[in-house]
This record gives sequence, structure tokens and C-alpha cells, in this order.
Amino acid sequence: MTKTYNEINEKIKNGDVVVVTAEQMINIVEDQGIKVAAEEIDVVTTGTFGPMCSSGAFLNFGHADPPIKFEHLWLNDVQAYHGNAAVDCYIGCTRLSDVKRFKYGGGHVIEDLVAGKPIRLRGNSYTTDCYPLAEIDTEFTLDEINQAILLNPRNAYQRYVCAVNSSDRTLYTHLGKLLPHFGNAHYAGAGCLSPLSNDPDYETIGIGTRIFLGGGIGYIIGEGTQHSPTNQFGTLFVKGDLKQMSPEYLRGVSYEQYGTSLFVGLGIPIPILNEGLAKKTAISDAELFTDIVDYGIPRRDRPKPRRINYEELKGEYIELNGKKVKCSSLSSFYHARKIAETLKEWIQDGKFYLNPPAETLPTDTVFKPMKQTTKIKFVKDLKRNAIICHDDCDLKTIAEKIIDQNLNHIIITDLENTLKGIVTSFDVTKAIARDKTDLNDIITKKVITTTDNEPIDVATRKMKLNNISALPVIDELNKVTGLITSEELI
Amino acid sequence: MTIINCMLPFGLVKDFDDYSKIVNDILKHDITFNILKFSTGSNGINLLIDIPEDKTKTITESLKQNNIVVNKKGRVIIDDEKCIDCGACISLCPTDALHLDKEERLKFYYEKCIGCLLCLSACPRFAIEEM
Ligand code: SF4
Ligand code: SF4
Repeated sequence: MTKTYNEINEKIKNGDVVVVTAEQMINIVEDQGIKVAAEEIDVVTTGTFGPMCSSGAFLNFGHADPPIKFEHLWLNDVQAYHGNAAVDCYIGCTRLSDVKRFKYGGGHVIEDLVAGKPIRLRGNSYTTDCYPLAEIDTEFTLDEINQAILLNPRNAYQRYVCAVNSSDRTLYTHLGKLLPHFGNAHYAGAGCLSPLSNDPDYETIGIGTRIFLGGGIGYIIGEGTQHSPTNQFGTLFVKGDLKQMSPEYLRGVSYEQYGTSLFVGLGIPIPILNEGLAKKTAISDAELFTDIVDYGIPRRDRPKPRRINYEELKGEYIELNGKKVKCSSLSSFYHARKIAETLKEWIQDGKFYLNPPAETLPTDTVFKPMKQTTKIKFVKDLKRNAIICHDDCDLKTIAEKIIDQNLNHIIITDLENTLKGIVTSFDVTKAIARDKTDLNDIITKKVITTTDNEPIDVATRKMKLNNISALPVIDELNKVTGLITSEELI
Repeated sequence: MTIINCMLPFGLVKDFDDYSKIVNDILKHDITFNILKFSTGSNGINLLIDIPEDKTKTITESLKQNNIVVNKKGRVIIDDEKCIDCGACISLCPTDALHLDKEERLKFYYEKCIGCLLCLSACPRFAIEEM
């Protein structure tokens, strides 16, 4: 059995097209078999609604009088990118407001714009003979500007990872707030409704494919950046007219201590041209796998404790190292389903036709790491010998060592060299001022540490976050192997 | 009397008896108090207690020194207008106060909330407010 785009579009026109969502397709194929499903179902709709950091919009304001050629410009205090013609700009969703910082960003500007709210535009220029205006401060709404085009270079990730945190502090990441010691887990992606998981071989999804984007109609204009279909991390480059879109499907978000983003609603119709597509669109959550990734290790290649399918992710708990870990998503399945349903209605109502791609997308690209010309430095490259006192020593010994070695930090260990605490010259001064004589009165026992193979930047961030100037270096057995201080880092 | 929630985070729980740390710490202050609820969640051990109002400050401070997380019994409210049903708050909740219903929409069970406020900073839409 095969069908053509024309036959399907003819059915849409006649009002007898059969459309189901990818979630409904699972049962249909299970009950009736692939052959019958392929004959009866014409289109399967998909949907996803999640944070897509690679989103933004091109805006054109028209010319001022006298005209201005922007050098820098801000929309509601969020800086927009300007590096092309006089009054064009690109507002990216992760750019933070200069004023509200993490609480408002480019994603919120896009949501407010689509909601019809007035946006404040401030800009300046170095001025030219043809563009003499040096500064502007004005307000506009979506209706009042020329073009507003959502242009997202990387959307609709086929799947995403599930994040956990093995470290001993809460982490704020692009996958949300992760509690220490595997306290919780977050994942993203719509699983069985995910557009690219339903056409993983890119038979029907390609350049020019008409899609649901932000509540309006959009188009795929190429493979997304970092497109990596060989390991099921395909992505899409999409565009659409913001003026047709709805704030329900474009939502600005702020992740604490991480930054802002934009929730984008995206849905793709998949024409069931053959039995193979009927089978592929019936994929279930149980058949879609991703990796659990430990964000406790701040490196590019993070440990991956195990593989997991979307069925387990969507249950409230996942199993990790024999422990039940509470798990929730960052993307909304409720809205993903609503998008697939809306697209289905559009097609049934004859408002949306399907088109073959002008060109197919690559299926063999891989996502390469960044080329770094300077070698990254590790703690082991810069550490110095730690000055150690045993936990039974007195304050005088410590004070002497501080003076002899001209160092502010003395590491306290037991006789086996196991870390017990740290004492600084300030602690000793404090002890003298307050008449304390016992090491126990001044020692800091909860010590923030580092290890040989930690990149220097990670160690630096630890010092900064904790407002300290040195970290003892320890091995797996908690034995002290050195010290790194802010002096080494300069 | 004031109701506070004390939480001993799991990272610090090395031993089953560690929860007694919370109780011992309060007993030091020589007061009578009621334990209203004892529960374990994904984040740690929670103890909801009722203590004399005038001791709240000292007790809270000494508990905090032992790395026990203390919250005044307050609860949160969810602003449905702002919520986008993403679910990012759910995994943070040590009780099952935050939940996705059959339709995959966020449901909040007010009675189950112990006011730990862990969910507050997890919401990307500022939809959760402290009451
Ligand atoms: S404050 Fe938030 S995380 Fe804590 S119990 Fe209430 S709903 Fe759950
Ligand atoms: S994190 Fe915020 S927006 Fe997401 S479901 Fe919870 S309350 Fe709603």
C-alpha cells in the first residue's frame, strides 16, 4: 500500500481525511495491525512543548525620522543582536534583561510581543550622513512593526537526557533545580508524541515541511544546529510568522541561577505514505530510550549511570542505584498533546494541507565537540603542597607554620593524612582576640574540596560560590594531596 | 504555639537514627512540643512540629547550625494563569502535594504541602508563591 501527498490533500479538501495523534496511533496499530492502519490512517500528528533555548525572532521596525542605524538596541532592557541592516535586529530568548537579570529575558520579550503588549525600544548609533539620529527611545506593539519572524536554529530535539546530580550541593542547570545526592531527576521531551521520533529516517520531514509553530503556521528550513540523527539527537531549524502566533504556545521562562529561555510549541504532521511510516508513528514511550546523565560532574562527557525509556521517566519515580528517585519533566505533555490535537483539527477542517519536502535532511551528521587551541588546566597542574598539622596540635604550632610558610591556610588531618578540617590565619587571629586556645574552637570541619582532575575553572567557581580562597585537594580516600589557593589561579 | 517544618536532607542522613538529631536538638531547649507529622520524602526526613512561640527563634537557629533546614509552616499557592504544566516543580516536592493529574495538568494538594518551599525556585514561570 502506498499513498501520495496529492491523494491525502484531496481527502483533506473533501473532508474525509483520517487524522490521529501519534499517541492514538499506538493503539490503532496494536489493535488493527500495521497493514490496516496504513490504509485507514492518512496523517499522524505530533507535538512538543518545552524550553528551546535556541529560539529568537527577527524584527524590522521601519525607519525613524531622521533615520537611525542601530549600533546597540534593547527591547524591554534586553539587548537584541544588531549586526545587519539599519533597523533589523534579532532578539534571542536566552539574553537576560540588563535590569531584571534572571527574572526576564528575550523569551519573555517574545511572549509579551505576541501577547500584544507594548515593548519599549531603546537604541543608539554612531551616526552616519544617511543615518544621523544618535538615540531613540520609543514603544511599539507587534502590529506596528513590519516583520516579526520567529527563527529558531535548533528546535524539537528528538529526545533529551534525564539529569541527576551526584554532588553534595543543589545545582541549578538548564535541566532545572537538581537536588544533591541524586535527590531528584528531570527529563525533557514528549516521548511518543515527539515529532522526530515518529519519522526518525526523515522520510517526510524535510526542508519546506509545513508545521504547527507557536500556535501558527511555520516551516522547517533545514536541519537544526548540532543535528545528530545517528544517535537520535536530531534537531530542526524552523521559522514562522510571529504575527500569526499565540502566547499560549510561546512562553518565556526563567531557570533560577541558570537563565531564561522560551517554551516553544511545535507540531509536525506525518503523512502515512506507506506501511513503514504507520509502524514508525506507532512508537511508544517504552521503545524510546535516553540516557540518565550525572550533572554533578561539570564536564562535557558526564557519567551516564544508565539508559532509561520514556515510560519509566513518565512514572513518578525512576530507579537509580537501587534507590527510588522522584522524577518529573521540564516540558509539558499536556500542551504537547493539545498541539497534536489542534493540528489534527486544522487538517480535519481543511485549514492545513501537507506538502512534500523540497529537500530531505541529512541523516548521517554527527555533533562534533569544540576545537580548543589552549589546553585546559587541571587542579593537578597548579596545586601546591599543603601545609599540614595534625588534629592534636595546638594553636601555637599552627600560628608558627603560618608565619614560616607564609601561607594563610593550614590543613588539619589525622595521622593517616585524612582530611579533618582547615584553619586560616584569620581563624587564628580570631582565637587570640577571643581568648580561645583549643583547635576545636576555630577549625572549619565542613570543608569544600577539589580533586586532581577537576578543571581549574570548576575549582575557581567553587571558591567564588562559597566565598573562600583555598581548596584542599583530596583523593578518593579523602587523603590530602595538596592545596590550591586563589593565588595559583591568577 | 508556632508550627515549623524541620528537614534533615538525605545527604546528611548516614544512619537511620539520624532523625533523632532533630528531636535531641529541640529537647536541649527544655520545652514541651508536639510532633504533628513525621515523613520521609525524596529530599530528606521531615518533621512537622509545634513549638512555643517565644522559643521559635532560638530553636530555629540551633537547628540551622546542624544543617537542618527549617521553614515556618507556611504553604504555597499556585497561580494557574502563569503555570504551564511543565512539571519542573514536582520532583522537588518531598510530599505529594504537587502532582500531574490524568490530563497531565498540575494539581496542587494544599493539605499535603508542608511549606518546605523547595519548589519555589524550581518554577520557571514564578507561578508558585509563598503565602
Ligand atoms: S512547599 Fe512546595 S515542595 Fe514543599 S511541600 Fe509544599 S508544594 Fe511541596
Ligand atoms: S514548575 Fe511552575 S509552571 Fe511548571 S508545573 Fe510547576 S508550577 Fe506549573
